[in-house]
Amino acid sequence: MNFIVTGISKGVGLEITKVLISKGHTIFGISRNSSAELDELRKTYPENLKWRSYDLTDHRSIRDELFKSFIGLKTEIHGYVNNAALAYDDIITNLNNDPLEKMFKVNVYSPFNITKNVIRSMLLHQIKGSIVHLSSISVHTGYKGLSMYASTKGALEAFSKNTAREWGSLGIRSNTIVAGFMETEMSSTLSDKQRNRIFERTSLKKPTSLNSVAKTVAYLLEEDSISITGQNIHVDSGTI
Amino acid sequence: MNLESIKTIINTVLQNRGKQEVESISESTELRDDVGFDSLDLAELTVRIEAEFDVDVFEDGIVNTVGDILAKLK
Repeated sequence: MNFIVTGISKGVGLEITKVLISKGHTIFGISRNSSAELDELRKTYPENLKWRSYDLTDHRSIRDELFKSFIGLKTEIHGYVNNAALAYDDIITNLNNDPLEKMFKVNVYSPFNITKNVIRSMLLHQIKGSIVHLSSISVHTGYKGLSMYASTKGALEAFSKNTAREWGSLGIRSNTIVAGFMETEMSSTLSDKQRNRIFERTSLKKPTSLNSVAKTVAYLLEEDSISITGQNIHVDSGTI
Repeated sequence: MNLESIKTIINTVLQNRGKQEVESISESTELRDDVGFDSLDLAELTVRIEAEFDVDVFEDGIVNTVGDILAKLK
């Protein structure tokens, strides 16, 4: 099957790409920059991994640049993984509008526009596809400094649930994965003390495994999850 | 672009939805009331017209009749 995955150059996006390729799927991957690991993967799987550099702060050129030029309107799309995200963290009294707007463009406006085009493609090709948004545990459990970031993910959870209701009659599904804190670049600015405090709040007392998140994404994209839609699936080491 | 090609696209959508196909249409045919399209059917109609003519007929306003579609494609 053909899947669009954003933010594939590193972290969980790269892991999702690896898992989906290992299952024989074709990935239309998007990220601002490549990385040594992504370059290697592209060399190994030139047929299964197609990549385009795109800056998702530009939510208005998505149709032309990604769907017409990169993927091609004739290509069947079976699923979309919205993984790319910016994390602008600060306390609310320090709110700065430039990074705030940039984050909303990448985390919210672009995914909405990609979803629009994905559903339109599924309508054209009669595909009962699956959409998976990566959300964050910060939506459900407050963390100091993450109010603005968490609100972008909360927007995605609402969007996903309503997507599921709106398009369910055509067999199109939408779910979010509520990921816990992972050891990725996004959380690399945390101090060891902050990190340990976060992990102490989980049942498993561990960071969330990237591979566990990636395999849950694959599950939600594939046929085995055919009756699951409109859900938030927590993959968060049991942050309860 | 003519009525016949619009009719073909309308009937493709109706067929995909398991709905009764239309035998004839005119410029005054109402897409909701006469053809029986709901908003999701209209969405599929939009993408099928766009795939053929590269025009998003619903992008900048409300389209009610077959004539409205023809006007957008001119």
